[in-house]
Amino acid sequence: MLKFYSKLLPVVLLVFSFIPNIAQEPLPLGSLEVSGRIKINGKAEKLQRKRFYLLRGGLEENKNLIKKLESAEITSRDCFYSQMQASPQFICWLKEENCESPYCREIDKTAIESVPEFQTAFQKGLRQFGKSRSTIAQSWLITNLSPPLSSGFYLRQKSLLESLLSIVKPLQSSMTDSVSVKAIFIDIPLNLPETDGKKKKSETFLVSNLLPLEVGDKSYIWTCETEISNGKLAKLVLQVPEGDKKVKNCEVFVKDLPVCKTENCKK
Amino acid sequence: MNKNRVKILFLVLVVSACATSFWNKTSAQKGRDTYLHSSASHKKINCSSCHKSPTSNWSSARGYPDVADYPDHDSCINCHRNDFFRGNRPAICSICHSNVSPRGQARFVFPVKNRSQEFKTIFPHDVHQNIIASNEKKYDVAVAHFVKANFRTMFDDDKKTQFNNCAICHPTATVLPQFTTFKQSKTEFLVEPSADNFTAKAEFFKDMPDNHASCFNCHYQGQKPVRTDCASCHRLTSPYFESKTVQRYSLKFDHASENHANKDCTTCHVRITQTSDLRSLLNADVPLLTCSTSSCHGDELSDEIGKREKSIADKEKIFQCNYCHTSAIGSFKIPASHLEQSK
Repeated sequence: MLKFYSKLLPVVLLVFSFIPNIAQEPLPLGSLEVSGRIKINGKAEKLQRKRFYLLRGGLEENKNLIKKLESAEITSRDCFYSQMQASPQFICWLKEENCESPYCREIDKTAIESVPEFQTAFQKGLRQFGKSRSTIAQSWLITNLSPPLSSGFYLRQKSLLESLLSIVKPLQSSMTDSVSVKAIFIDIPLNLPETDGKKKKSETFLVSNLLPLEVGDKSYIWTCETEISNGKLAKLVLQVPEGDKKVKNCEVFVKDLPVCKTENCKK
Repeated sequence: MNKNRVKILFLVLVVSACATSFWNKTSAQKGRDTYLHSSASHKKINCSSCHKSPTSNWSSARGYPDVADYPDHDSCINCHRNDFFRGNRPAICSICHSNVSPRGQARFVFPVKNRSQEFKTIFPHDVHQNIIASNEKKYDVAVAHFVKANFRTMFDDDKKTQFNNCAICHPTATVLPQFTTFKQSKTEFLVEPSADNFTAKAEFFKDMPDNHASCFNCHYQGQKPVRTDCASCHRLTSPYFESKTVQRYSLKFDHASENHANKDCTTCHVRITQTSDLRSLLNADVPLLTCSTSSCHGDELSDEIGKREKSIADKEKIFQCNYCHTSAIGSFKIPASHLEQSK
C-alpha cells in the first residue's frame, strides 16, 4: 500500500505543479469605445449621456431582439407628459433644457411661479414643513409632485427596456459622457476558443441603445456589430443612414416621433 | 489638624464623585454598545416600527425632517417589559440613556458616531444616472454624468441653469481630508521611496454625503424608497468601523485643475455608469485607459516607463514614477496593466 502511494506521489506533485500555470493564464479581456458624435443631414449632433448595451453575438445571432426593436412602440417625452395631463408650462419647462424629468435640474423660484404643478407642490411643502421652512419646501419640492410627473416617464422607459430584454441579457451597459461623447466598455470577457489548432482572434458583439433616442423630430435605435479582440481598444462610431444607403454592419431604425399637441413655448 | 481633615474629606468626596460618574458613564456606554440591530429578534422587525421618521426633534437637531433621535419606549416595551423593571439601574435603559435614573432624560447623541457600523448603504448610481438623464444637451463643456454636471464653470454664473449632477452629492472638498496611498504588496517593492516634493490640496478631493438630506430631497415621500423604507438603502453587514481616510493610487490627481474640471465625471469614472453597487467596483475606479488613451496624457505613461527601464538598464538610481504618483506608489514595480497600456 505504502509502495503504491510512494509511486503515486510524484504523479500528484506533477499534476499540482501545472495548476498554478493554468491559473495564471489571463482571461482574455477586451475594451470598446462607442462614439456618439453623429451627423444628421449634415448637421453634427451629440448623443450625450445615452446608455448603450453590449450583447454577445452579431446581427444574425440577435435577430429576434432586432425584430423586437424594429416594432417597439415609441412614446415621445412630449406625448407622455401630454397624456399625463401635464400643464403646457410644465412641458415647456422640460423642453427648455431638454429634460426628460423634473429631476434634471434645479426648480427655482421663477419655475415655481410659472409652472402650476410646481406651485401646488411648493404650497403643499409649506403646509407640511412649516411656512418658515420655505427652503425645504422648495428644494424638496419634487417629493410633493405627483409620481407620474416626477418619475412616470422614466418608469415607462424602464418597462419598455424590461420587455425588450426579456429575451436577452446584455453583458454590460455604459453611458456616453457629455464632453468626449463616448461610452466606454472595459474588461469585456472574451470567448476565444481554438478551432483547428488556431485561437480565435476576436469575438463579435452587438452594441445597441435599445431605447429609442429622440433627436429633433425623429427617434433612433442603433444595433451595430463590432469585433473586439484581446487587449485592444475597439472603436465604433455610430452613423445615421443616408437615403437608402445602409450603414455597414448596422441596423438603424429611424422613425418619426408621434406628434402630440403641445403649446409653443416662449424662449 | 481639623482643617486638614476637612480638606482630605472634601478631596475624597470629589474623587469618589468623579469615579462614580466615570463608572456610570463607562457602564452606560457599555450598555449602549450592547444593542444589536442584527439580533435574531430585531431582524424580524420593520425598521419603521421602532424608528419614527421624522422624529419630533428634527427641527432643532438637523434643520430638515430626519430620524434624529432614538425610538420611543413603546417600541421596546412590547418585548422587553420585564427588562424595564430589572434592578435599580435597568441595563436596557443604558442603551439610549446616558444617565440611568427614573427621572433621567438625557440620552446619547443620536446616532452614536463612535460605535461600529452595522449597516452598509446601497446607492444604485446607474439608476440615478438614468432617471436624471435629459434628452439632449446644449452646452459643450463642463458636464458630468448625471445630467449636465460640472465642477465649476456653470456654477460660477448664477444666471445659468443649475443641473442636477454628481456634484449634488460629491462637491469639491473645502477641507483637506485625511489621505493615504493604497497599500502595496511588499514583494512588488523595488526601491526605497524618496521624499516627495508635493502637497495635496483640499480641491484635489471630492466629498460624499454623510446624512439623509441629499437622499430625502427626492425620496422623502412619493418616490420609492421613501424615508420609512430604511432597509432599501441600509443593509445589515458585519460590524465595522468607518474610515474617513481617502485612499488613492494617484494622489497627484487634481479634480479642480482646468483640464479636469471641464470634463464629465464619467469621462474617467467610466464604471460608475455601469453599476448599481459601488462595492463591485475597484476603488470607484478610473481605468488606466481613460488617461493613457487621452490626448493629454497618452505619452506620459510611455515616458515614465521608459525612464524607469533606462534607469535600470544604466544601473542608475531606479527612477520613481512621479507624474501621477507619489513615491509611496511610484517606487514599486510597474504593474502589468500599465505595461499593457503603454504598448
